[in-house]
Amino acid sequence: MLRYTVHGAVWVVLYLLFILAPLFALLAGSWPPARSFWTEFSVALGYSGLAMMGLQFGLTARFRYVTEPWGEDVIYHFHRQISLIAVGLVVAHPLIMFVVRPELLALPDYNEVPWGAVFAFLSLFSLIALVVTALWRAKLNIRYETWHLSHIVLAVVAVTGGLLHMVGWSFYLTDPWKRALWIGLTIFWIGLLLYVRIFKPLFMLRRPYRVTEVRKERGDTTTLVMQPEGHPGFRFTPGQFGWLTVWGSPFKITGHPFSFSSSAAVADGRVEMSIRDLGDFTSEICNVPVGHCVYLDGPYGAFTIGNPADMHVLIAGGVGVTPMMSMIRTLADRGDKRPVILLYGSKDWDSITFREELEALKERLNLTVIHVLATPPAGWTSEQGFINAEMLKRHLPPPFADHEYFICGPGVMMDAIEKALGEMNVPMSKYHSERYSFV
Amino acid sequence: MRRLFADRLAFVTGVVVILMSILFAFSRVTL
Repeated sequence: MLRYTVHGAVWVVLYLLFILAPLFALLAGSWPPARSFWTEFSVALGYSGLAMMGLQFGLTARFRYVTEPWGEDVIYHFHRQISLIAVGLVVAHPLIMFVVRPELLALPDYNEVPWGAVFAFLSLFSLIALVVTALWRAKLNIRYETWHLSHIVLAVVAVTGGLLHMVGWSFYLTDPWKRALWIGLTIFWIGLLLYVRIFKPLFMLRRPYRVTEVRKERGDTTTLVMQPEGHPGFRFTPGQFGWLTVWGSPFKITGHPFSFSSSAAVADGRVEMSIRDLGDFTSEICNVPVGHCVYLDGPYGAFTIGNPADMHVLIAGGVGVTPMMSMIRTLADRGDKRPVILLYGSKDWDSITFREELEALKERLNLTVIHVLATPPAGWTSEQGFINAEMLKRHLPPPFADHEYFICGPGVMMDAIEKALGEMNVPMSKYHSERYSFV
Repeated sequence: MRRLFADRLAFVTGVVVILMSILFAFSRVTL
């Protein structure tokens, strides 16, 4: 935990340095004539806002060292929140300028508009479109793949447009080395995008997986069993996830994140993902033929089993049981007898994915399974409804703060459980959650 | 709760960047 805290603190400092150092580098060497405070303030906001936008490519480049201390879901959440702040700063730049220098609003003849201003407009327009489509993708009814592609294109246009605006305006970037610094930074940002969209897929292309079994599970869920072809595969820790591209090449933006559901103790590189039919692209998973070639990018995520001395409390809702299943199967394969309690929320008795296997695994582990059903059958005497603090207190031995908690399920359920654990005085360091709804 | 941490981190980052932008502008007009 301490390692992750130090690791995380280093990344935060580096992140701030990457935003602010290029701004303050403008103060080195010769200075252009000083303008009013508000003009300089708005320019500083523009520069730092652009640096923040550029670093977004780094946040989403899936670097394991960056995501490890927090988990990829938290990084994506930060990506969303910080982008709103960055866009606010960038938009504030022209607004302040127009207030302090209203003459800038007087539009010159079409042919006389400086190209620095054209790129500013292009960058701003792209940024606003970026935010609107990201915040309201579902309401605007934009397909995930279409949105993802447009998100990348708009981000590149916004950042490149911002840089060309700076170079075109040429107030601070008259010094060749300052211009080189900012152009170099922009190339670095775009390079991060190329890394995740070109170099990583190239790597994945050389390391395909073959589907060796397609297994129907309870609860509209299908398990894909995948074997590395011509390479040893990768090692993952139980609870981690990977980006799966089922149809087409890894260059297509069709990869989706899924937890591994298989044991991490398997030696031959085989991995399994159990995917529930949610009515979107997941409804095609059951039609994947045996022998089909797929691509996997992973493993990712900090959601993994903890201290062997602690009781592990696994709280799963629906298909959120898949990372828990990987943990339980791995513990069984390793002969690990740490106490594990699984509180597992499902719609009804028939839709409990892995129900029979969990019963069988109780024989090999110190495992207690508590099924919580939304629609219980007649005569059901166990838990029903939603998992809450009272239910947790009924089944867990005190002190509650001594256990490690793992939560995976629908967002509403995770919010409720995190709140319940807070009420039970469980410190944040003792619970782990992973959300897969990145967009 | 972890997302709350990300929210706070984003907020603090925004505040730091605004303060540093004020410092930048202040240095330009005073130095």
